[in-house]
Amino acid sequence: MHMLSKIPKWNLALVLVLVSEVIIFGLINPRFWNVSILLGSFNDFIGIAVIGFFVTFVMITGGIDISGGSIIGLTSVVVGILSQVVGINIWLSILLALVVAGLCGLLNGILIAYGRVQAMVITLGGMLLYSGIAVVIVGLSGVSASEGISGFSQSFSTIAYGSVMGIPNSVILFVVLLIIAYILLHLSKYGRYIFLTGINQEAAEYAGINTKLVILSTYVLSGLSAGFAGIMLTSYLGSARADFGGEYLMPILTVVVLGGTLITGGKGGVIGTALASIIVGFLQIGMQMGGLSTQYIGLATGLLLIISVAILSVSDEFKSNVKRIVRLKSYKG
Amino acid sequence: MEPMKEVILMSKLKAITKKREFRTFLFLVIIFVIVGMVNSEFLSINNLQNSLKSSLLYIVLAIGLTFVLLTGNIDISVGGTLGLSAAVSGLILKNGGSIIVAILVAVLIGALIGFINGIGVAKLNISSFIMTLGMLEITRVIQVIYTKGQWVENLPTTFKQISQVKIFGLNLLIIIVAIGVILVQMYLSKSEKGRYFSAIGDNTDGAILLGVPVQRYKIYSFVISGICAAIAGLIFASQIGFISTTAGMGIEMTVIASAVLGGVSLSGGVGTVVGASIGAVIMISINSALVYMKIPAFWNDAISGSLLITIVVADALMARRSNKNIKKERLRARVLKPEEVVTHAHAK
Amino acid sequence: MKVKNTENLVSLENVFKSFNQNKVLKGVSLDLNKYEVISIIGGNGAGKSTLMKILTGVYSVDNGFVKIKGKEMQNHTPSIALEIGIYLVPQEPLLFPNMTVEQNINFGYDKPKHVIREEAKRICSELDWEIDLSRMAASLTIAEQQQLEIIKGLVRQAKILVLDEPTSALTFSETKSLFTVIEKLKKEGVGIFYITHRLDEVFEISTHAVILRDGKVTLKEEIEDVTKDMLIQGLLPDGSDTGYSSTYEKNYVDHTGKPPVLKVENLTGDGFRDINFEVYQGEVVGLAGLVGAGRTEIAEAIYGITSSHSGKVKLGDKDITHMGINETVGNGLSYIPEDRFLHGIFSIGSVKNNLTAQILKNQGFFVNRKEEKIVTKKYVERLRIKLADTEQEIKSLSGGNQQKVVISRILSTNPHLIIMDEPTRGIDAAARSDIYSIITDLKNIGFSILLISSDLEEIELISNRIYGIYRGVCNAHLGPEEINATNVMKAAFGTYERSDSHVKA
Repeated sequence: MHMLSKIPKWNLALVLVLVSEVIIFGLINPRFWNVSILLGSFNDFIGIAVIGFFVTFVMITGGIDISGGSIIGLTSVVVGILSQVVGINIWLSILLALVVAGLCGLLNGILIAYGRVQAMVITLGGMLLYSGIAVVIVGLSGVSASEGISGFSQSFSTIAYGSVMGIPNSVILFVVLLIIAYILLHLSKYGRYIFLTGINQEAAEYAGINTKLVILSTYVLSGLSAGFAGIMLTSYLGSARADFGGEYLMPILTVVVLGGTLITGGKGGVIGTALASIIVGFLQIGMQMGGLSTQYIGLATGLLLIISVAILSVSDEFKSNVKRIVRLKSYKG
Repeated sequence: MEPMKEVILMSKLKAITKKREFRTFLFLVIIFVIVGMVNSEFLSINNLQNSLKSSLLYIVLAIGLTFVLLTGNIDISVGGTLGLSAAVSGLILKNGGSIIVAILVAVLIGALIGFINGIGVAKLNISSFIMTLGMLEITRVIQVIYTKGQWVENLPTTFKQISQVKIFGLNLLIIIVAIGVILVQMYLSKSEKGRYFSAIGDNTDGAILLGVPVQRYKIYSFVISGICAAIAGLIFASQIGFISTTAGMGIEMTVIASAVLGGVSLSGGVGTVVGASIGAVIMISINSALVYMKIPAFWNDAISGSLLITIVVADALMARRSNKNIKKERLRARVLKPEEVVTHAHAK
Repeated sequence: MKVKNTENLVSLENVFKSFNQNKVLKGVSLDLNKYEVISIIGGNGAGKSTLMKILTGVYSVDNGFVKIKGKEMQNHTPSIALEIGIYLVPQEPLLFPNMTVEQNINFGYDKPKHVIREEAKRICSELDWEIDLSRMAASLTIAEQQQLEIIKGLVRQAKILVLDEPTSALTFSETKSLFTVIEKLKKEGVGIFYITHRLDEVFEISTHAVILRDGKVTLKEEIEDVTKDMLIQGLLPDGSDTGYSSTYEKNYVDHTGKPPVLKVENLTGDGFRDINFEVYQGEVVGLAGLVGAGRTEIAEAIYGITSSHSGKVKLGDKDITHMGINETVGNGLSYIPEDRFLHGIFSIGSVKNNLTAQILKNQGFFVNRKEEKIVTKKYVERLRIKLADTEQEIKSLSGGNQQKVVISRILSTNPHLIIMDEPTRGIDAAARSDIYSIITDLKNIGFSILLISSDLEEIELISNRIYGIYRGVCNAHLGPEEINATNVMKAAFGTYERSDSHVKA
């Protein structure tokens, strides 16, 4: 059982699940096989996928980041306030919002890597804090919290609705960020350091790797990716609200874990996360088209999550047991 | 004899002040005093009772969660369990079922969900975070299916009144929960079996060697957490009077934050239900404190978030510093001192 | 088997046990009677711990019988084991760090607390051990934790006591008082399994010696009929020579006029003070001392894991005193840590990724996979690392091969100086001599090595010069002519005549 053979097997299983999903939903409702609808649906889960890519980094170091959802809301509010209330140029607002998202990640990272506090606790506090700050900003600016900030320019909405050569921007962003994440994690030296740190931080430290910086950087990346997701979502929905992304917490963790990344760190990959996010995303539109309530999606993802982890964690023991039984039989036979 | 007693009392007092729970409690008192100085109405019996009343279901959830956290696991599914059991028992009540049956069914649902979580974690070795995360999603959907996506409203008045009953001017539920907290605390810290929970989180291998049925007690902890979540669901239904499809949404994070604030460690082995309960009261009191200080309510999350981070980081830094000092002292004690060198040489 | 005034306590018959495909016990039979102390000797992976865990009910047997006090045990569990008086003092104390000493003692023991407290106090005073019952277990030293474990066993009035390397963390005098206790318990009729690596202890306290190798008992004798050579013979794999003959050549190197590779001047820190020594090119310098003498602390301060208070460390001409690991490594220092599993290997990483973890530093943004392959191949061949595939997880290798991978990783950085802290801990005899030859080869091709070891035989065997570390001070220096077993022992115990000019009072 070694690294390179186990995870691709898992990815293969994910591809099979994805293919059969497409076939089944298409049989129920042939409209599902319409490529432009499928590609268009990326807008619905791009946020989950993009954050998922970089939460994968975090989880491989042995940490966890549950603050991504609230960073979405904060970024959205910052873009909205800066461009619509303060009146700064929209692109500059976006840049500043991304800086804010990166700073949120930086705070998480500093406290986790250098303060050595459990990631779960810090990002839980961060989750409350960042969405809290977003609510405060909205509250102080006097904008209606329930309606959000709207009135964005046409050029801003092309971020989500535009396309290049017929391919929606969200798909392009998905692919570009996936490629970046893949290169960083699987081809670069930095990515190798992430794995080594996740397997054994002490040993990595003894080998002269600056593990704290490695850990810190993964939270910054995760925060930044949440910033991108926040801007996409704001553009997609045409308004900025503090509670955007609030329900993203569970789906993000689901796609990362379903993608085959070990929650204890040291193993995993972004291809799996990408496949899992497409599976979960298609599941949602497939259910809609099949006339099922989207509320059922939780049942499906919940079961997928538990079953996949059960298989991943039981498989070793299970295999050797099967082998033993087979061997016993062959002795007797 | 008298001075002797005093010494013992003093040392006991000292031991108490060193406890993490005491610091949390002190913090709670400080919040109340500061807010009370701004607006003395905050300290009225009525408001204090209201604060406690709205903390009740969080306290109950925190009690259950503490069992799980002590063993070194986590339970994210409490919000889902709360919603589902409240919805099911709410429908029973609405359809004219007796209160006793409704309570029993709720508790059974909670126990069952907890049992499934426990089996997954203890027997199948699924990480508790993932297991209960999945369970949270599943219970939410089952709730929606069961209630056909409707809110459960118009609960019988008799049921709603349960949360309003007063004895000697005190809310009955507050008294029951307070007694419950004390009893559970005694069980966890004094009784042989109760100490198993923290022992498992403290050192699993050691617990196995001393004959603790580790898997069984892990399952127990989830069952207890499930039952507590169900009871919290009943309190919720009785206090609010209706159950929405999103009842208890996001509550798990508030409860985990409460427990951590109250000194329960997420790595297991450390913490008390008293601390977790005080943490819950703090989390809920911030809300009403803001109202009394005439600060807009939208500050709530930002304050609780920064509070949680500050306290946890301070705690971690303090613990690390004292550990470091202990280690240093140990190392220094080993070193041969210059004057010893002389005697050493002479001894030969 | 000779029978004395015996009453059988434990009888293991033809016990088999395997985990997945790994056969750990291959038919072990062993008896323990009252008044007996049986020393069990064997390398790591020989099955000692598994055997003892079967006895204490943690594991069940695949095949064979476990009889305790004549009764065959089926469905044996840890709580049954405790009830019938079997108690294991584990090698790594299994205490509850967040409980007090007293809570640790009475945990899982069904007796009134004040009775247990009185009993614990009585035992403490009898042993002349001082432990404050109200302290938190987390604040105890390793030795105190070990003592607490032993007290736990004695409070429970164990009839069958298993001591798993109990002296590894104890000081000399603590060890002495433990031996007195064992002697006393033996007279009271308690049966004791004593697991150890230290052959001298075997002759000091046991009535019988048993050698476990590769899941089988290879020697079982009364202590009067055993010699040290027999024990070593029993530990070695079949068909190999006795012991490590002194094939590790120690060519005499004249350093006069050459600058030292490493020079440590008056280094003082937590756990040591006023340390002076130097290492020249092409030699192995040993730091001899007992566990807890401060050797690892010195190494960690040099390497930059901890900081020192005063003094100087020079690597070549460079002052590296206040550098962190990052910089010391960059300057050509490398360290093989004492605890391989905790600090040395990336257990679920592949052999290749383990081996190349430190060459990445000199690569560009991307990992150079070609270079990785070449380097891995080179060292696997050069150090004769036994593996099926370089992509296999390192934890699936044997301890010796894991250590070879760690050494390869260090060598790949081409260091000026290698610090090796207990390089053969937990490694079987065959792999051990392999590591010795590797170290000697490295020395001969010009590497400089600082060797830290509590295995005095090992340090005597392969060092060119030896410094003795005793309770945090460096009080002895042995030149090539002065190295012999007695002198090394004296240096480690702080009784060597201070003939050395390096040490100033």
